[in-house]
Amino acid sequence: MRLTLQMLISHGRVARKMGMGPQSRINMLRNILTGLVRHERIETTQARADEVRFYAEKLVDYAKKGDTDEKAMKMASFWLTEKDLVPKLFKVLAPRFESHPNGYTRMARIPCTQNLDRAKMAVLEYKGNPFPPIYPTKKQNELTLINQLLKGYREERAQLFAAKS
Amino acid sequence: MATRTVCQLLQRRYASTAAAVRPPAAEVRNQRNAVFAREQARQRALYPRVEKIEVSVRGPGLDGTLLIMNRGMSTPLSCARHLTEHHVTNSALALVDGELWPLHQPLTNSCSLTLLTFKDSDPTMVNQAYWRSCAAMLGQVLEAAFKDNYTVELLSPPEVPVTLGAFCCDVALDPQLDSWTPSEETLRSLTRGALQLIHQDLPWEPLEVVPSVALEVFSHSRFKQEEVEQKAAQNPKGTVMLYRCGDHVLLSGGPLVARTGLCSQFEVTALHSLGQGPWGLHRRAQGVSLPLQLPAHHMVWRKLRQRAEKLVEVPRPEEATPPSLPDSASDQPATTSV
Repeated sequence: MRLTLQMLISHGRVARKMGMGPQSRINMLRNILTGLVRHERIETTQARADEVRFYAEKLVDYAKKGDTDEKAMKMASFWLTEKDLVPKLFKVLAPRFESHPNGYTRMARIPCTQNLDRAKMAVLEYKGNPFPPIYPTKKQNELTLINQLLKGYREERAQLFAAKS
Repeated sequence: MATRTVCQLLQRRYASTAAAVRPPAAEVRNQRNAVFAREQARQRALYPRVEKIEVSVRGPGLDGTLLIMNRGMSTPLSCARHLTEHHVTNSALALVDGELWPLHQPLTNSCSLTLLTFKDSDPTMVNQAYWRSCAAMLGQVLEAAFKDNYTVELLSPPEVPVTLGAFCCDVALDPQLDSWTPSEETLRSLTRGALQLIHQDLPWEPLEVVPSVALEVFSHSRFKQEEVEQKAAQNPKGTVMLYRCGDHVLLSGGPLVARTGLCSQFEVTALHSLGQGPWGLHRRAQGVSLPLQLPAHHMVWRKLRQRAEKLVEVPRPEEATPPSLPDSASDQPATTSV
């Protein structure tokens, strides 16, 4: 190729480089994706989690086609290095996400590692996993004074509404 | 001191005449204060030597804490002071051996203590005590609001559940004021009086007395004396709980919270006339209030205030079915399952 100045400047290029080249990148993502399908919630660096997210959702889309489909089976067996996860993908994950059109994964950023490299970490999970939620919902106590007053207010409004109609 | 006893004798002579010949409000207040202070000093002097008791504190993160306190002198508030500032500012009521205990009442035996706040998992008792304290504060403001030549008779504040939206304080005003209707300005000035009390952060000092002392305290008010006798008959121990806030002594049916500073938003919303009763024209003063730890947005506050302006019908314990009036809520907490 012609050695131009544009080749050295990377303005606007969104594709990430990982590992020792494109093949190494795919192998790394394959390993991370296998871990995600096995454990359903994993902790990696933010960049890797972001990359794997795309491939994880595409994998589930292929799995939804069913295990009789030739292409789907080829994709699953390529991407999952541990072959005992292929039936899990088709029998557990695909039926779970039948009603979801998209958005099967959730990514949450967590504090940096305390190691020397201080790498930015993230947690990636498939929705509907059996673990407790990453963002726990704060339960409102119904018995506090202000909630009791509001409960009385709502009941009165409901009574008035019922009396009017 | 001799003059004080002479004054008290003279006041007692005044009390025996008709109720119309009543000394001015300031004198009544001073007399009640004096009797209260005397009884308080006498009860404190019952423990001349310092005796130690063991108090085990229960609570989140506090299990197993043992405090050595003084008998007859240490209060649950002093136990809280040994813990953290958060406990001092946030605790409203204490639970001593399963019994509700006002924060300023001295402990008498070795016991287990739990400090209750507004944000517990079950704050129903604290809410009730808060509602009672707000009604007591409303009564105090009403008594101090009128000029000396008008008599104000505070009737017993009814026990209102919190879901009805307002606490109420019944008063019977002077017969000269029968034709007076309160305007918005009066309600606002009453609110300002209550907010001044809150700002002063006065503690509600409890005192457990025998009925004879209580009768002496309320020697100018026939209604209060009847109430004292009623409460003494209801109480298994035969004693009556008096509370003092600033210079106002009052009688209460249950424990009150620690101090006036625990309230933050307070509004006197209405003063309804209920009709003629045995003591004069009954009026019901209503208000709504929220504690410092549970602030409300101004939109929510406005809605709660509008609701509190309507007359609150106190649910009677004899009625098994809830009445058909829209204001009354069902007074059976077991049925309202959330």
